[in-house]
Amino acid sequence: MPDLRNTPIRVLIVDDHPVVLAGLSSMLGTQAGIEVAGSASSGEDALEILLSTPADLVLLDLRMPGMNGIDMLHALKRAKISVRVIILTSFETDEDIYRAVQAGAQGYLLKDAPQSDMLEAIRAVHAGRRYFPRHIAARLAERMMRTNLTARELEVLQMLARGLTNKQIGSALDISGNTVRNHVNSVIEKLEVSDRTEAATTAIHRGLIEVND
Amino acid sequence: MKFPRLPGRRIMIGLFSGLFLALGLLLLRAYLHSPSRGLPYRDSFAGGTSDEWKALGGTWELVNGLMRNDSDERGAKLLTGSPYWHNYSVEADIKLLGTSGDAGLIIRSSNEEEGVNDYSGYYTGVRTVDNMLVLGRAAHGWQEIMKPYPTPGGIRPFQWYHLKLLAYDCQIAAAVTTRSNAAPTVVAINDPGCAESGRVGLRSYSSGGVWRNVVVHPATHEDLVEMLQGVRAQADSEHRNQAIWDSEFLGSQPHSEEEKANAGFNANTQSIASLSLTSSARPTSATVRGVVILTAPMLFVQDSTGGVYIPQPTAPPLKVGDEVEVAGDVHPGDFSSTMEHATVRVLWARTPMPPLSVTASQASTGKFDAEFVEVQGHLTGKERSPDNTLILDLDEGAQSFRAIMNPGRSDYLFSKLKLDSSLRLRGICVVDSAFTHNLTPFVLLLRSNEDLEVLAGPPWWSTGHVIAIVVASLLLALVINFVYHRIAHWRLEAVLEERQRLAHEMHDTLAQSFAGIGFQLQAIRNRLPENNTGVLQQLDLARDLVRHSHEEARRSIATLRPESLESEDILTALDLCARRMVEGGTVQVVCERAGDQRPIPLRIADTLYRIGQEAVANAVRHAQSTILTIRLKYSQNLACLQIEDNGTGLEETNGLLGFGIRGMRRRAQSISADFHIESKPGQGTRVQITASLPPRITLTTWPKLFWRYLREYWNNARSSKYADSRSYRG
Repeated sequence: MPDLRNTPIRVLIVDDHPVVLAGLSSMLGTQAGIEVAGSASSGEDALEILLSTPADLVLLDLRMPGMNGIDMLHALKRAKISVRVIILTSFETDEDIYRAVQAGAQGYLLKDAPQSDMLEAIRAVHAGRRYFPRHIAARLAERMMRTNLTARELEVLQMLARGLTNKQIGSALDISGNTVRNHVNSVIEKLEVSDRTEAATTAIHRGLIEVND
Repeated sequence: MKFPRLPGRRIMIGLFSGLFLALGLLLLRAYLHSPSRGLPYRDSFAGGTSDEWKALGGTWELVNGLMRNDSDERGAKLLTGSPYWHNYSVEADIKLLGTSGDAGLIIRSSNEEEGVNDYSGYYTGVRTVDNMLVLGRAAHGWQEIMKPYPTPGGIRPFQWYHLKLLAYDCQIAAAVTTRSNAAPTVVAINDPGCAESGRVGLRSYSSGGVWRNVVVHPATHEDLVEMLQGVRAQADSEHRNQAIWDSEFLGSQPHSEEEKANAGFNANTQSIASLSLTSSARPTSATVRGVVILTAPMLFVQDSTGGVYIPQPTAPPLKVGDEVEVAGDVHPGDFSSTMEHATVRVLWARTPMPPLSVTASQASTGKFDAEFVEVQGHLTGKERSPDNTLILDLDEGAQSFRAIMNPGRSDYLFSKLKLDSSLRLRGICVVDSAFTHNLTPFVLLLRSNEDLEVLAGPPWWSTGHVIAIVVASLLLALVINFVYHRIAHWRLEAVLEERQRLAHEMHDTLAQSFAGIGFQLQAIRNRLPENNTGVLQQLDLARDLVRHSHEEARRSIATLRPESLESEDILTALDLCARRMVEGGTVQVVCERAGDQRPIPLRIADTLYRIGQEAVANAVRHAQSTILTIRLKYSQNLACLQIEDNGTGLEETNGLLGFGIRGMRRRAQSISADFHIESKPGQGTRVQITASLPPRITLTTWPKLFWRYLREYWNNARSSKYADSRSYRG
């Protein structure tokens, strides 16, 4: 492992917005141990720069015209460029975070994060760890676990796993048997299983529901 | 997103279908206006049908496959064909039934009305009085060209003549031939400013007539030339049945001039009414004079005093309107007399007798027995009797009666008659039980279907019509309702789309700028020496302000984004929203749901979500609560959203919240939802929105829904005057 004190971390900033680009460059430029290796305003430019001047870490915006952040992550993988990536974005949806991580991002930061957090993230990811702020980590975990089941479907699934019939579930939830059947069918479809039993076991296995008794 | 829609494509589709429709209409019009539509035409009298013919005056009937008019009416017409026929010829075999008139063919006829020359067109005919072949133009007036008919003996009644009439451009030619003299007599006129087009017709004047083999052909200039050159007329005499040609219709003896002269006046004639005074015990012979009012199926004669029935007379061929003298044995009946073994002599032809207009109850007294009357009535039934006559059951007021028609030409009219129509009928009033079968007080014997006139069809408010109208208006209401909701939905989609665009816009500009400025400030701060505390503090403040603004912008973007509604599940969306807001805090979010979940219209869902978001935000930011409960209850046609916290309540933060609550209330009003807010200091706040959902309309539920709607409407109308006082002070 190289000496962190002596070799600065070379950072490539990728963002389509010039104000952000300028601000980040200025800010990180003042930090000891960090060297802004370059900046790119699109995924395509960034890939080109990475091919000629190797960087240790990329701060990557998600929303960009042309090749967006996720696309670029995939492109990096395809081009076999091994570089660590921190997603730096100003707005997050669960889906964005999930897809970014799936595509291989090691960190995730919001643009309004304080400087200390940002430096911590850069150092942590550069050192080979992952960095996700607490609330993002929580949501990521939730997203990983969650299927697109609705709250009602989860309720139905919970009772189904306890071995209740459609009729019993219906009377417990105060809905008709037909509605329960619809919910069950939709659960089976969403979990991509073949029957009720498999739905229950899959759900328990994936931690979607808990069975206490 | 489904947007953008392509209004251009719709316009194109609309344009093209409009174009096709217009083209179709043009083609249809061209077809209908075609000068040769339906040509060549050949009558089907021999087959017993003549539905396409329309009568104006006369007593047109199909008898033994021949078209026959027994009336001496002046200018009785029977018309058919297309008013757009232009160059064509019409020919037919014609036999006159009287000695004092003419009969023939009409070409290019239009604007026909009942009356002597009340049409516009050309007429040719054979006339007995002066042995002429007549050709002329009628235009509600008469211009005539005559040509003497050269055969010895001239034009005689009860003899077949073959007439041909041709119109080419403005040249009209007429020709007549007989079997014995096949060389045609031709007359022609050149009529500048001629009648361009019109129908064909049969016409007789002051004489009855019989027509057969009516044929209409398109005509060319060659046809005209050929005709004018006097070339043997292309009569389709080959087709003619020799037997019909030779045989005479209804006997062969015309009442000749001599007979007329010999007629003289029998001094012993008495009035028909006086016949009833004769004793019934002893047969008495008597002589009366009168006008024939009906010839078939039996003979009736009427004078100014009454009518008489003459069974099996010894008589020459008679026509309605003939003035006759009848001598026979009198059998007085209850209401009218009968003359048996009667001999009938024709004195002269005269205009048929006009009917006497009476009411059904007057006719039922028997006073008008055997007389020609006109009665009105409502059709209550129609049937075909075993002997194939057509029977109409009618009533006028409480009086019911029957009318009997001959089959043949009347069949079509009979089949078209609708029950409950109002009719005017002319016919011979008969009270004899041989006709009435003691079912009705009297029976009308109609002479032809021109004796029946439909005054008014059945009233439109029949059960079927009313049901159809109700069903149609219900369907229309459903369609309008559907279209209305569709439009509302589109509008909302446009709003949502615009919001999304706005969110993206803010994200791309505002938020990014805030972030960039934040970084820039941080960079400046990093470069400043630590001892410059005054500037450092100001810089920190500026940085925090920018970060705060950034957060605000992010929040605005979050509320603008419609993504949360895409699942169509408000509760899940609100749960997510609440959890995001309480992130890192100690507030516990609880979600509850009750009732059958059902799809909520986008507009209502969006509004509920926005109100819920605001309520959650208030609870999280200002109320310092620890538990936040979000409840969504579905019932039959309501969705109720509750957001409850256990925080500080409203009073303390009233100033801050006033605006938010007003906003929520306004949103609730926009979907006519009930908005309630309950709050006590220290005991938390509860916001409740109850929105009514559009009912699920199916075939089985709509009557119930309709009834409920009416009831609610009534209740609302009653309670609306109190509603204002209940509104919450925001």
